[in-house]
Amino acid sequence: MRSAPRVIAWCLALAALAVVAGGLLLDRIAAQEHLPESGSVWLYPFLIAAVSAPAVVGAMIVGRQARNPIGWILVVGALSLAVVLAASPYAWVALDAHPGSLPGGSWAALVSSLWPIFFAWPLAVAFVFPDGRLPSRRWRPYALFAVGSMTLLVLVLVLSDMLEEPFSDVANPFPLRLPETVGFLRPLAWLSVFASLFIGAAAIRVRYRRSLGVERLQMLWLAYAALLIPLGVVWFLVWSLVFGDAGTGDAVVAFLLGMEVAVAIAVGVAVTRYRLYDIDRLINRTLVYSVLSASLGLVYALVSLLAGVAFGRGSTWVTALAVLTVTVTFGTLRGRAQAAVDWRFNRIRYEGLQRVRAFADDVGEGRREPEDVGVVLAAALRDPSAELLFRLPASDVYADRLGTVVMNPTGDDRSATKVKHRGQEIGLLRHNRALLARPDLLRSVLGAASLAIEIARLRVEVRIQLAEVEESRGRVVRAGYEERRRLERDLHDGAQQRLVTLGIVLRRLQRSLPREAQILGPALGSAVDEVGRAIEDLRTIAAGVRPPRLDEGLAAALADLARASPVRVDVKATDERLPEAVEAAAYFVVCEAVTNAVKHGSPSHVRVEAMVANGALRLVVLDDGGGGATLVGGTGLVGLSDRVEAQGGTLLVHSPVGAGTRIEVEIPCGS
Amino acid sequence: MRIVIAEDTVLLREGLAGLLEDAGHEIVARVGDAQALMAVVAEHEPDLAIVDVRMPPDYEDEGMRAAADIRRAHPHTAVLVLSQHVETRHTLELVGAGGFGYLLKHRVLDVDDFLDAARRVSEGGSALDPEVVATLLSPQPHEDMLSELTPREREVLALMAEGRTNAAIAKRPWLTERTVETHVRSILGKLGLPISGDDHRRVLAVLAYLRASAV
Repeated sequence: MRSAPRVIAWCLALAALAVVAGGLLLDRIAAQEHLPESGSVWLYPFLIAAVSAPAVVGAMIVGRQARNPIGWILVVGALSLAVVLAASPYAWVALDAHPGSLPGGSWAALVSSLWPIFFAWPLAVAFVFPDGRLPSRRWRPYALFAVGSMTLLVLVLVLSDMLEEPFSDVANPFPLRLPETVGFLRPLAWLSVFASLFIGAAAIRVRYRRSLGVERLQMLWLAYAALLIPLGVVWFLVWSLVFGDAGTGDAVVAFLLGMEVAVAIAVGVAVTRYRLYDIDRLINRTLVYSVLSASLGLVYALVSLLAGVAFGRGSTWVTALAVLTVTVTFGTLRGRAQAAVDWRFNRIRYEGLQRVRAFADDVGEGRREPEDVGVVLAAALRDPSAELLFRLPASDVYADRLGTVVMNPTGDDRSATKVKHRGQEIGLLRHNRALLARPDLLRSVLGAASLAIEIARLRVEVRIQLAEVEESRGRVVRAGYEERRRLERDLHDGAQQRLVTLGIVLRRLQRSLPREAQILGPALGSAVDEVGRAIEDLRTIAAGVRPPRLDEGLAAALADLARASPVRVDVKATDERLPEAVEAAAYFVVCEAVTNAVKHGSPSHVRVEAMVANGALRLVVLDDGGGGATLVGGTGLVGLSDRVEAQGGTLLVHSPVGAGTRIEVEIPCGS
Repeated sequence: MRIVIAEDTVLLREGLAGLLEDAGHEIVARVGDAQALMAVVAEHEPDLAIVDVRMPPDYEDEGMRAAADIRRAHPHTAVLVLSQHVETRHTLELVGAGGFGYLLKHRVLDVDDFLDAARRVSEGGSALDPEVVATLLSPQPHEDMLSELTPREREVLALMAEGRTNAAIAKRPWLTERTVETHVRSILGKLGLPISGDDHRRVLAVLAYLRASAV
């Protein structure tokens, strides 16, 4: 959306860029006249960046948060910096290179001497970062002091007799002068500006200590940029050692400009919150690579020293050996440096990773189940509320370690972080919201655990599938029993009724025959007998499909079975009523076992027991036949085993040759 | 005899009715479910109700429950239950109380036997299907006592349990009424039951004995 503040901010930002570009152009012109004070060309990118970074960041912030003064502070700061920077080459061109070509050369010299304005915007940001307000009302006097000292310094510079170097020979065009008596104001102004810089640092520190969550991360970004100052000092020292004093001035300028860029970018990241969460990783990486560089430098120096003693200084072997050593030790040192930095600065992450890695080893060695990974993650992340859900590959739903599907995985006040492995989502971690402030911890711990999570979720999936297969097998078998019951009903209530009706009709015919037709009597009688035999056949078939006495319980059905059996069968059966499918399975198992015994073992006596204990129906079928029955090789026993397993039960056959057969079956019946 | 018939299969019901009418009985009502049965029994107070076990709406044991209700509410109406298959759940209690019979449907084809059973029941006696008796006499549960009976005595006991009188039992080709009496006395003695001249009482005692030992 276009809005006035945004347009104005971008115009100011573009103006700052235009001014600095013009300044660089003038610097080139001055350089052609071989003026000694013109800047080095390699500084140009630093100059452009130092202006463009705060200008662009400021304009962006104004565009997003028009009420946050930080955007305006950056844009105005960038513009004033650009003006001060451009004033110097302007003055050179106007006064020395082409005198009279440009107006107001001495005014430009005056403006260029206002370079301390350079500190103005970082100082202002320090007081009001990140929300554009002071840390508290108590900070108001300090803020006023900072504004006052900056203003005083500018005034002192503008009203002084002499302009700053290198324009000390140019007359100050400003008509007013400070009286000699207040000459002490100049050092006082400088001192108070420095004091303000420290107060600004203190403001950041106070703000950081109080901050939580997102604000803490914002403060960390600013602190990270500020931390570059000591690093910059080190760089500056190294520079002066290597190149001597030559170019030190440019190096300092480059460093200060780089600082400006870094702070501007940090402010931009913090306020716009783009990649805000990467700060922990950034700090961690910086620390790791600093430690790594120092270590490698040390290794290089030591090897060079020792090899130098051995091969003599300056030998190419020395360099080669030192480089080789550094290369070889790089990988190891990098891991060590990471661990050392984590141990010292990020204990939670260090210990969390150790825990997850130890767990992964345990899983590899078979000491722990991969499904425990959720518990391990909760411990590693120090979040007891953390809960890991597995994303099941086949059905694309979330399930816990037991395979129970979780319908609404983001349904409470916890946060949820997706776990990925090779670009594929493999799980979801529900965790305390506070962990969001530690994205590095989450990322690294989940990364280390991802293989275990992947294994666990595949195992959960397999287990679910297996349970489904078993469940469906049970359903098929139960449907079979249901079908048998229906068929039995149809035979008894349908076909049998019709036959009985037919028989009655024939009987009535037979009994009502007139005397002269009595000759038909015997024929009708034998027809009724035939109907009776058909009914008997039908009843036998129906009883084989499903004995109707099962309706009265297992004991009744088994008693009938025993009576119908050609050998003596003793039955001891529970009177307890069990689920229909269990009773049916038990009946057919006993039926099949007895039939099998009679057919193959020719026993004289079969004993059947059916008792309930510990929530399971326990069947024992014992005969004194020839034995030698097995579950393999097409005997009816295989069918028995299938029937029992479909009900979640077990079947054991003990049948030594010549010593009878004992079949033991257990079917869970939930009672 | 004044009879009501409750049977949901119309052809079978009409066949039964014809059979009974041929034998000189009066069919006062023909219904197809238990509710209607209760209504016509209350209205006509017949001598006998012939009832199918499975009837609408659920085809479970509506007839058996109606039979129990009739015996309770209308003691003068006897009930003869016809079933497609053996079911002993409620049978024994009702048979033991008299005025009740339980036969498999196809026994109807043995018309004289069927008519005899109907008459017996309506006179306060009982009729129990041979298959039910066989389940009661199955050897396992009470082998100890029944094993002392000779095969012939077992046969006579079964016929007694079916509700038959000595005279009826003696109609078998291998028995005379005198030998039947000898057998009966011997059986009752072995089972420790009181010897009684009353056929019904005797049947009840035998059934009570079998029921008690059948657990």
